[in-house]
Amino acid sequence: MSELPKVGIISCSGEDCPGGNISREATLRVLHNLRPDETVTICLPLFLAGGEGERGFARRFPTITVDGCGKFCAAIGTARFSNKPALEINIEDYPDFSSLHDDEKWHIQENSSDLVEKLSNDIATHVDEIRKTWGKP
Amino acid sequence: MSDAKRVVIPCSGIGKAFGTVAREATYQLTETSHREEYRTICLPLLVAGDQKAIDLLKQSRVYTIDGCPKKCATLCVERIGVDVAMEVMVPKILAKNTEHKPESVLDIGPDGVLLAKDIVNVILEEGSD
Repeated sequence: MSELPKVGIISCSGEDCPGGNISREATLRVLHNLRPDETVTICLPLFLAGGEGERGFARRFPTITVDGCGKFCAAIGTARFSNKPALEINIEDYPDFSSLHDDEKWHIQENSSDLVEKLSNDIATHVDEIRKTWGKP
Repeated sequence: MSDAKRVVIPCSGIGKAFGTVAREATYQLTETSHREEYRTICLPLLVAGDQKAIDLLKQSRVYTIDGCPKKCATLCVERIGVDVAMEVMVPKILAKNTEHKPESVLDIGPDGVLLAKDIVNVILEEGSD
């Protein structure tokens, strides 16, 4: 069994912005396809709705938060209730963010599939780096 | 953006197909012909403590759609001191419409879309003032 830690990925999944949908899709792609054995997740709202068990999540796992806009709800919520993320990703930092349409909060259009792929690949790369370096001086 | 005073908040749970169904039902209400009456906000804003979002909910009739018994959407709203006008539990709707079983969290499939439609119908029929 590997001694490397699993990495927690927490998506904002914001319902009222297209970046939320992109963050959710990219996170699911990492969890299900790219790094299924190396990652875990938790529903972000559980930090507020749940108890100490859920709030210990980011203390048990190094965590990457994936936010769909500059409000940083996932990063702020994770730090507020659990622990500071190891890495905070904001989709607004990607050039393709500016071409997202508002209705993509429901259905991601074909043009934005590249953004999902790039974001998910970046998350997977960060997972690998965090696992290699976590706990080392 | 609509000034609708009915706000629908799904859990968007990332671990189960029911979370995706909750999300789909929300958009079937807020992005279609019902959009003048219903809107949504990002549930994560409540986790982050966004005061503007909290103030909006305090002035609104709030509907929550939860995908599992942890009831994240409902509890998050209640924990900021707002009453929920109507709670919808996706598994309970499925129990009454067993033919509309969603496929997966990644793709709920056509039956999952129909389950979301069942939820919309429940809200429209039972959730009015």
